[in-house]
Amino acid sequence: MKAVFITFNQAYYDAILSIMDRSAIRGYTYWEDVQGRGSKTGLPHYGTHAWPTKNSAIFVVVEDEKVAVFLDSLHKLDLKTEAQGLRAFVWSIEQLI
Amino acid sequence: MSIYSTAVKKPVTTALIFVAVVILGLYSLSRLSIDLLPKIDMNMIMVMTAYPGSSAADVEMNVSKPLENTLNSVSNLKNISSQSRENISVITLEFEYGSDTDVATNDVRDKLEMVKSYLPDGAESPVIFKFGTDDIPILMLSVTAEESTNALYKILDDKVANPLARINGVGAVSVSGTPIRELQVYCDPYKLEAYGQTIESISAVIAQENRNTPGGVIDIGSNTYSLRVQGEFTEVNQLLDLVVGSRDNKTVYLRDVAYVRDYVEERAQETYNNGTRGGMIIIQKQSGANSVEIAKKVYEKLPEIQASLPSDVQLGIIMDTSENIVHTIDSLVETVIATFLIVMLVVLAFLRRWRATFIIVLTIPISLVASFAYLLASGNTLNIVSMSSLSLAIGMVVDDAIVVLENITKHIERGSSPKQAAIHATNEVGLAVMASTLTILAVFLPFTMVTSGIAGIMFRQLGWIVTIVISISLISALTLTPMLCSQMLRLNPKKGKLYIFLFTPVERALDWLDGAYARLVNWGVRHRKTVITGAALIFIGSLFLTPTIKTEFFPTQDNANISVNIELPIGTGQNITRELAQRINTEFCANYPEIKMTNHSEGQASTDNTFAQMSSSGTHIIEFYISLYSVGERFEKSGSNRGLSEICELMRKDLEKYTEIKRFEVLAGGGGGMMGGEATVDVEIYGFDFSETDIIAGEIAQRLRDNKNVSQVTVSREDYIPEYQIDFDREKLAVNGLNVTTASMYMRNRINGSVASLYREDGDEYNIRVRYAPQFRQSLDDIENILIYNNAGQGIRIRELGQVVEHMTPPTIERKNRERVITVSAIAAEGAALSDIVDAANTEMRSLGIPPEIGWQLAGTYQDQQETFSDLGLLMLLIIILVFIVMAAQFESLTDPFVIMFSIPFAFVGVILGLSITQTPLGVMALIGVIMLIGIVVKNGIVLIDYTILCRERGMSIITACVAAGKSRLRPVLMTSLSTVLGMLPLALGTGEGAEMWRAMGMTVAWGLTISTLITLVIVPVVYCVFAANGLKRKRKKIKKLAVLMNYNTIK
Repeated sequence: MKAVFITFNQAYYDAILSIMDRSAIRGYTYWEDVQGRGSKTGLPHYGTHAWPTKNSAIFVVVEDEKVAVFLDSLHKLDLKTEAQGLRAFVWSIEQLI
Repeated sequence: MSIYSTAVKKPVTTALIFVAVVILGLYSLSRLSIDLLPKIDMNMIMVMTAYPGSSAADVEMNVSKPLENTLNSVSNLKNISSQSRENISVITLEFEYGSDTDVATNDVRDKLEMVKSYLPDGAESPVIFKFGTDDIPILMLSVTAEESTNALYKILDDKVANPLARINGVGAVSVSGTPIRELQVYCDPYKLEAYGQTIESISAVIAQENRNTPGGVIDIGSNTYSLRVQGEFTEVNQLLDLVVGSRDNKTVYLRDVAYVRDYVEERAQETYNNGTRGGMIIIQKQSGANSVEIAKKVYEKLPEIQASLPSDVQLGIIMDTSENIVHTIDSLVETVIATFLIVMLVVLAFLRRWRATFIIVLTIPISLVASFAYLLASGNTLNIVSMSSLSLAIGMVVDDAIVVLENITKHIERGSSPKQAAIHATNEVGLAVMASTLTILAVFLPFTMVTSGIAGIMFRQLGWIVTIVISISLISALTLTPMLCSQMLRLNPKKGKLYIFLFTPVERALDWLDGAYARLVNWGVRHRKTVITGAALIFIGSLFLTPTIKTEFFPTQDNANISVNIELPIGTGQNITRELAQRINTEFCANYPEIKMTNHSEGQASTDNTFAQMSSSGTHIIEFYISLYSVGERFEKSGSNRGLSEICELMRKDLEKYTEIKRFEVLAGGGGGMMGGEATVDVEIYGFDFSETDIIAGEIAQRLRDNKNVSQVTVSREDYIPEYQIDFDREKLAVNGLNVTTASMYMRNRINGSVASLYREDGDEYNIRVRYAPQFRQSLDDIENILIYNNAGQGIRIRELGQVVEHMTPPTIERKNRERVITVSAIAAEGAALSDIVDAANTEMRSLGIPPEIGWQLAGTYQDQQETFSDLGLLMLLIIILVFIVMAAQFESLTDPFVIMFSIPFAFVGVILGLSITQTPLGVMALIGVIMLIGIVVKNGIVLIDYTILCRERGMSIITACVAAGKSRLRPVLMTSLSTVLGMLPLALGTGEGAEMWRAMGMTVAWGLTISTLITLVIVPVVYCVFAANGLKRKRKKIKKLAVLMNYNTIK
């Protein structure tokens, strides 16, 4: 099992959910309002006067074989509109109940 | 869940809610009535007290003075003035506008109750008379007749006045100018003397003979009958056979001493329509009723009435106040539509997308229509104020929607789905949109709180309408706009050929403008001193233009009505007056092809004519009502296009040539309203001594007449009036067993006649008047020969009892605010403004060397203007403070709003320049424009500064931030400014009926906003740079100090 942590511009929410549905990923955890900025080119998403956009975050735990396809779809989504900002990070799950 | 996400997620609900709002608004619109102005409660109460047998001075001392002193303490009283004439005192109380007349009337009644016992014994109880705008006739009908002339009164009274009076809302209907039937018993004094009869005995006989008496009930057998004596005359000839007495055992019949004439009243007001004899029907409305509706109902009824009249009687329209109202509102509706189209084009040019334009423009009808619901709910009407408020608001309501839509578009371009973009983009700008709307509300809400004066009534409605329209547009921008965007906007829609053809040049021009402006700002922020000095010079330079600006109160409105009052010397016979009136009428008709209809009357009005009672009438007075073709059709119909004031001016010149005229007044606008009529400056001269004040008034009147800016001067105090009086010798009266009352009654019954009884026919009653035949009352000898009988039956002639002498009666004594006053009023000539006359009057009065016991002041329209201007000045200050507070809260800073405030002086520069170049006088309407400018101008500054701050927060340097912000915000600023300025153009350039009223307002906003936008775009970034640089320097100094301190610590 792998954990996938996706941070993205709030506007992506619907698109990401539909990707998950298509990949038969059911469970997830969602934070509606998170703030942050990209390491290289990503603009800040602070929800402030100067940087009004906001991010959301989704934490998904998926089977190992699904990870590649899922990440691939997310990457395609990001490439389509790079200005919005979408990042996903994957790490291993050691145990679960 | 926020309001915008709900709106986007539930498009059906959102859409239907707004559909419901529109339906509600349209329903209200269908129920709204139209009127010229918001309802203005007139603020006059008159108290009339009769004191028979006293002279003007007696009335002044004994009645007017005590009443004035008591009534002076009634609350909300603005002015108290009185007229003391022979036998009567009329006190006029003028209250502040907007005060409740009912409460005031009660107060006045209480005070009168208190003072009653102090009035002299002979004085009658004071009568309260409320006078309001409602008393101004709304419709005057002309009647022409040929064969039916003498019976006209009865025909009109039965068949026209009565049916009209039954119409809901119609108040009094008066018939004037048509003689009323009267039975005249003309006696021969010599025959009376020979047969030992008097007018009194004949009157008594007629009264006793002409009577029906019920005799009670009688039982005959089993039946009950009532018993009556039917003594009333059934035919006029019966009068001749009356037995009036006997002489030497012979019966004396009425026909032996008199003859009976079944004709019309001897003295009557005569009315001519277009020079032909006829009548006039005056229709007044009930208080609070709507003129336009009543006029409509009257028009509906007229064909029916016309059909019931004899074929030679024709009805026509002399004056119809509703016509002007309807035309004015129609031309405003056209203005509103033109504004709507212009705003739509501006939005389309800047956005270059059909769908986006549609979404934004949709806000306009929704917000406008919603305000109709307010108008209906608050009992208001569609009038000049409410309609021009709507026209103003159009340019502003799109602003919020534009900001929201722009941000949504940006999000979509960045790749969001329209739905998500709509929610998030609205969320981002929601607060900023609300804040900028708040600044506009900060400008308009205070308008609703103006309570005093005429300004209060006008502006309260404007304030509420703009507030409501802007609030609705805000709600719509936050719900409907995102919802429609989510449904209709697409990423990169296909561009058609038409699109490329139309918008490529626009796009290129805008790009060039962006670049040029960025370069300008870049230069400006690097040459701060030059720019600021330059701007200061422009501001100071414009101040030099202020002396060229004239001021006025309200512009004269061309409602195509003129009324002319002409007074000949008192005592001029009606035949001379009649002939002169005809001559003037012919001259007017020949000189002014613009005239559609003239109506004039002369002669003494009868007492039952309510309308005529309000103005003076007499054999020496001619009154003209002239209606011109309305502005819209004047040129087509007459081939000449002179304005109302110009024609009035020429008429005054014409009338000056008639030497027999003692004085005349030509009133533009029919003299009916206080607004839209010609402005007057009244010089009020206070002083007790008649001769002294007369001299000063005469002198100032002469000097003003010589002034070329003044077209008409009238002095309120009349001349001494010549009349005949009979001075009875009381001793001689006493010796003959007579007294003044008996003797004067004898005289009155012979000359004026005594109404003996009433003759009934077909349900109408006519006076039977007994008097000397006309040939026996033509000279002073005739009066002196009148026989007066005493109780002993001896006849004594008046010449034995006293003398008939010619007297000069002192004129009416006028007082204002408890001092004797004489008023000289001047009307501005064509092209001259109120301020010109004010200046002239001031210099002339100062140069006169007036003795210290005589006071003077300027009043009239000038006073109203001063009061309103000071109200508006205060309002402006209040608004500036409020706007500052709103901005300070938005930016959480005191310097940033201060920087933005720098755009306000340049709005004034634009206004001064505009007024000075176009030679428009500064009136109330222009001043409203100035106040509105404050809000609109500040909004531009907010947009600029807000984005500059944003850029700095994003890490740009001050100068880069200014340039970048300028470049990015130029289009929104230009778009909102252009939509407002171009939206004002139909108002500013309007030529329709009534356009004079709002032209100044449109002009002010258009000029002010254009100039201030151009200057603001440069000065605001520059001033911001100065302040921000200073702030930065201070911060650096602080850090340096801290660093020194820290270094010191480390060393230690």
